[in-house]
Amino acid sequence: MRSLLSLLGLTVAIAGMVGLFSVAEGLDYTVNRTFEQIPGLTVMQPGAPVPLFSKLPASWEKEIQEIDGVGVVNAQVVQRISQINGKAMISPPRLLFGTEISTRLELKKDVYGSHLVAGRFFTRNDRGTNHVIVSQQIADQLQITIGDTFDIENQEVELIGIYNTKLSLLDVAVMIDIDSARRMTRYDVTSVSCFYLEKSDETIADEELSQRITARFQNRPLEKWNPSQSASELSGFESHSFTTNVVTMLFRWLSSFTARQVAAPTNIEAKSQSPQKTKRSNSLGEKSSPIEVRTTDDWGARIDEFSQDLNLFLTVLTGIGMTIAVLSIVNTMLMSVSERIVEFGVLKANGWSAGDVMKLIAFESALLGFSGGICGIALGWIATQVINSQWPDRLQLFASPELLLFSVVFSTSMGILGGLYPAIWAMRMPPMVAIRRS
Amino acid sequence: MIEVANVTKIHARGETKVAALSDVSCQFATGSFTFVVGPSGSGKSTLLHLIGALEIPTSGEIKIDERSLTEFDSRQRNEYRRKEIGFVFQNFNLISNLNALDNVLVPFLPKGVTTGQRQQASDLLDQVGLAKRHEHRPHQLSGGEQQRVAIARAILKNPTLILADEPTGELDSKTGQEVFGYLRKLHSEKGTTVIVVTHDERYFLDTDRIVRLEDGRVVDSSSKGD
Repeated sequence: MRSLLSLLGLTVAIAGMVGLFSVAEGLDYTVNRTFEQIPGLTVMQPGAPVPLFSKLPASWEKEIQEIDGVGVVNAQVVQRISQINGKAMISPPRLLFGTEISTRLELKKDVYGSHLVAGRFFTRNDRGTNHVIVSQQIADQLQITIGDTFDIENQEVELIGIYNTKLSLLDVAVMIDIDSARRMTRYDVTSVSCFYLEKSDETIADEELSQRITARFQNRPLEKWNPSQSASELSGFESHSFTTNVVTMLFRWLSSFTARQVAAPTNIEAKSQSPQKTKRSNSLGEKSSPIEVRTTDDWGARIDEFSQDLNLFLTVLTGIGMTIAVLSIVNTMLMSVSERIVEFGVLKANGWSAGDVMKLIAFESALLGFSGGICGIALGWIATQVINSQWPDRLQLFASPELLLFSVVFSTSMGILGGLYPAIWAMRMPPMVAIRRS
Repeated sequence: MIEVANVTKIHARGETKVAALSDVSCQFATGSFTFVVGPSGSGKSTLLHLIGALEIPTSGEIKIDERSLTEFDSRQRNEYRRKEIGFVFQNFNLISNLNALDNVLVPFLPKGVTTGQRQQASDLLDQVGLAKRHEHRPHQLSGGEQQRVAIARAILKNPTLILADEPTGELDSKTGQEVFGYLRKLHSEKGTTVIVVTHDERYFLDTDRIVRLEDGRVVDSSSKGD
């Protein structure tokens, strides 16, 4: 019974560990899959964490287009939607994603166009119209189909297409022509949030093209992104949605990260050791450049660092759970050994060595740890699947095979560790001292 | 030949030290059947445990066929207990989560049990009247049956010395007779040296040797027929 309770305790601890780390892995998995779908470069305001907080002159599009190696340049305006059909859009967040349709159609890879599941994608005739393309998630939420009209910021729009990338970071966008987006959100007509560009020649390295673009705009006057201005934007993202909260946390982290870099680029440069960090600091370190070019690698490196911080936090939480589980194993094994100490004395009286007795106890506790690990990962994995299926648009947890394997190894190790003290105690006890306890 | 020479054993219980044996000397001939008798607390069981290398004397020496037990290291003591000694305890001391057959095989479990040993254990259980009890666990057996399993466990290793500590202490007289029957048979058929600690003098034969202890000292060492 005691062993069963200990097994249960360990199972819950390991399941909790799998669950907690699947949050970080889910974020990694989602972000990696997201950026796999967006292989191009993003030109943004220096220091802005994401395009939502960036602002650049629209007129720079032509200049970027002229740079050797640049293929298609797509101007984008990204704004948060506050109301749809008169209802506040708080959770999950919705973004109005204005895109320059003519250049959009020239992109070799369009994540939204390639994931269209109903209706049609934009044509040149959609320029200046209120035609929108939304995700399946948004269509389901609003219960709309192709041809339906609905209100965004109290302005009527018509649904012409539905996409489904199944990526929570992308499926928040309501796509519309860039000029219509500006009109609806009263966005400055001479500005854009960012430029998304594809290379004309794939043999050119992202870093090389990034440097060419940065060099082109050197010494141009442009107000640097102010971290404080993101506070009001971010406040709109506060919600009860888990994914939204994680994304908000990510945005906050990116904000603080970039804010630190903007404030003290020399420190960052001095501390940067890895090629990724050096590369990033080079682009940010161009103090006189009014733009920042983000490559897929840059995004990946930033997300990795965020993920590491999140992992550290989750490790602390898991550590507390595991400490309780290990103490539970030690207690169980100690009680178990105490109850059977006479038997261990009998085994020694029959020629078992102290090592044989220790191996037996260590094996039992390892078996307990292993069993707890197997039950724990099974429970944790099932829980992540259930959670993902129950809230597909809000949560994307991912328990990788590596995480599951690590959990079993960790649990088994904890089991052995927990049984070590009782094993040593039983091993050292002379046989007759043990037998006399009966 | 087992030679116990000037053996003293002091048990320390906290600050208190109790002398279980004081300067005890005696001998047990190879192939003899010896009873160690005496009142409670006289040191009978302690003497048995020292001969079985379950405990180490505080002073003095015990020799088994000219080999000094006190000079054995722990590995040698384990091997001595595993190969040469068969223990039979008053309260049987079977392993509760093993069945009768596995309990008989306990001494060999760490090194791995051979098919021959398993067959031999099975035969031994049959011989002590437990043919239909191989798969039963200790709590499913009566006291007499448990003691017969313990005797089979002691016999399986074909020991040169059987040490029995009050083997009939928790059994009725009929079952006690049966247990002694097995010990006598082993002694007579294989020439095994048997040393039995008991209070019960009903099982003595004229040919048996009696070592009488009082207050941790040998007060008499003679044959029943003397």
